[in-house]
Amino acid sequence: MNSTVKRMMQNIKRERLMSTSNILVMFVTFMVLGVFLYVIALSQTAFRYLENQAQVTVFFKDDFVEKNILELKDKYVADKRISEIKYVSKEDAFKIFSEINKNEPALLESISASILPASLEVKAKRISDLSSLAEEFSKIDGVEEVRFFKEVIETFRFWSTTAYIIGFILVGIFMLISYSIVISTIRTTISSKGAELEIMKLVGATDDYVKSPLIYQGVTFGFVSSLAAGIVFVFISAVASFFKVLSFGITFGFLHGLFLHPIVFSVFLLLFLLTSGCLLGYLGSYTAVSKYLKY
Amino acid sequence: MPQIEFKKITKEYAGVKALNEVSFSIRDDEFVFIVGPSGAGKSTIVKLLIREELPKSGDVLFKDQSILGFCGDEISNLRRKIGIVFQDFKLLESRNVFDNVAIALEVVDASEREIKDIVPNVLSLVGLSSKTNLFPNQLSGGEKQRVSIARALAHEPDVLVADEPTGMIDPDSADELMKILEKINSLGTTVVMCTHDEHIVDRSKRRVIRLDDGKLKSDTQKGKYRE
Repeated sequence: MNSTVKRMMQNIKRERLMSTSNILVMFVTFMVLGVFLYVIALSQTAFRYLENQAQVTVFFKDDFVEKNILELKDKYVADKRISEIKYVSKEDAFKIFSEINKNEPALLESISASILPASLEVKAKRISDLSSLAEEFSKIDGVEEVRFFKEVIETFRFWSTTAYIIGFILVGIFMLISYSIVISTIRTTISSKGAELEIMKLVGATDDYVKSPLIYQGVTFGFVSSLAAGIVFVFISAVASFFKVLSFGITFGFLHGLFLHPIVFSVFLLLFLLTSGCLLGYLGSYTAVSKYLKY
Repeated sequence: MPQIEFKKITKEYAGVKALNEVSFSIRDDEFVFIVGPSGAGKSTIVKLLIREELPKSGDVLFKDQSILGFCGDEISNLRRKIGIVFQDFKLLESRNVFDNVAIALEVVDASEREIKDIVPNVLSLVGLSSKTNLFPNQLSGGEKQRVSIARALAHEPDVLVADEPTGMIDPDSADELMKILEKINSLGTTVVMCTHDEHIVDRSKRRVIRLDDGKLKSDTQKGKYRE
């Protein structure tokens, strides 16, 4: 075994209780960090889901015939803002109406397909484009009404963005907390080993010999605690998948339109936590060693 | 060729001169006492020699090489050539005698086999073969100091520097310690001993470098504590 790793293991063994408590504190921190990331991802997933469902419905006057509507549809089908455009004829509208009101025979008898307007259902790639599309369609001759739930979508968009920003600020704060925990952990180790480190230096130990096990220790604490937290998230996701929760997948703000299976998402989360754990462990222990190791 | 050379060394702490243009040199295999009252600058010489401190002016040479420009691994290598014995022993209470000596070999990445060969030898040299497994709190002051000497000798240094080694031990133990240091010197290791133990200095009839108030007052072969 590499001598640095061996000496690090000796340090951890000699301070078994302190090492365990430090790993537990860091584990809780990474759990909270993971929960925040999950909350952000779920709020983003909900937003993307609603975004995909959000549409502008363009109703046409009776004198704007099917041929004109289909020409209009063909014109917009290549529009980069639009993800899907669907023609709903008077007959289709009646079928939908009949299905919705199948328990109201009296109502169905009084309505015929000719009363209902033909329409185009337009879905945008980005929810922010719905407003401009609605305005464009409303200016077209033959359009009777353009309907979309602007305020609901805007409100959800606002809260989703707010949750996203607050979530990332909180993630940043928890990263800083993890960092300071590693620093105080290594600082405690340095304090408890002060005499030993001083003697090592006086009998000819190199800086690397003294510092390396402490830096390895920080990285190991970060690795073990983030790995444990990551495994918990993979386990939770596996259980969620088993019960078909979130079967449509989870997305993240910058992964537009990409929905990941919950287990795949949690594996990415595990890798992210592991990277963060090792990096924070390294940076924290390096800072502590530079700042507090005086001999 | 001088092994250690101090050239017009001046060292200040917060504007107060601890050493004032001190010059001397020590040859291979010499046994030298550096004496003087508390605050005379003895410990400062030790700190300068192991490059724990830097002087305000002057130069310190070890084997004809200035050590003032040393950094990192060069300082570590220097300290492997200079074994140090401290007045307060600097032993680790959590480690037994064997492990306290072994630490000097562990830091140079010696193998377990080397450690198992060397540690018993140096413990035998200082007469502690039977106390290998004892912890420092089970030893007398003299025995603790002998462990400290064994640790300083473990990586076979060229020079052994003892800073007030008899300061915390009884006179009988101090005599025992002197015998050990003389034996080490007879085996070819240069010994530099900072002390204000008049009895030991006068009886040894060795070279005496006397400091007072940071200045070199005298440097006498077969000297005495007082002029």
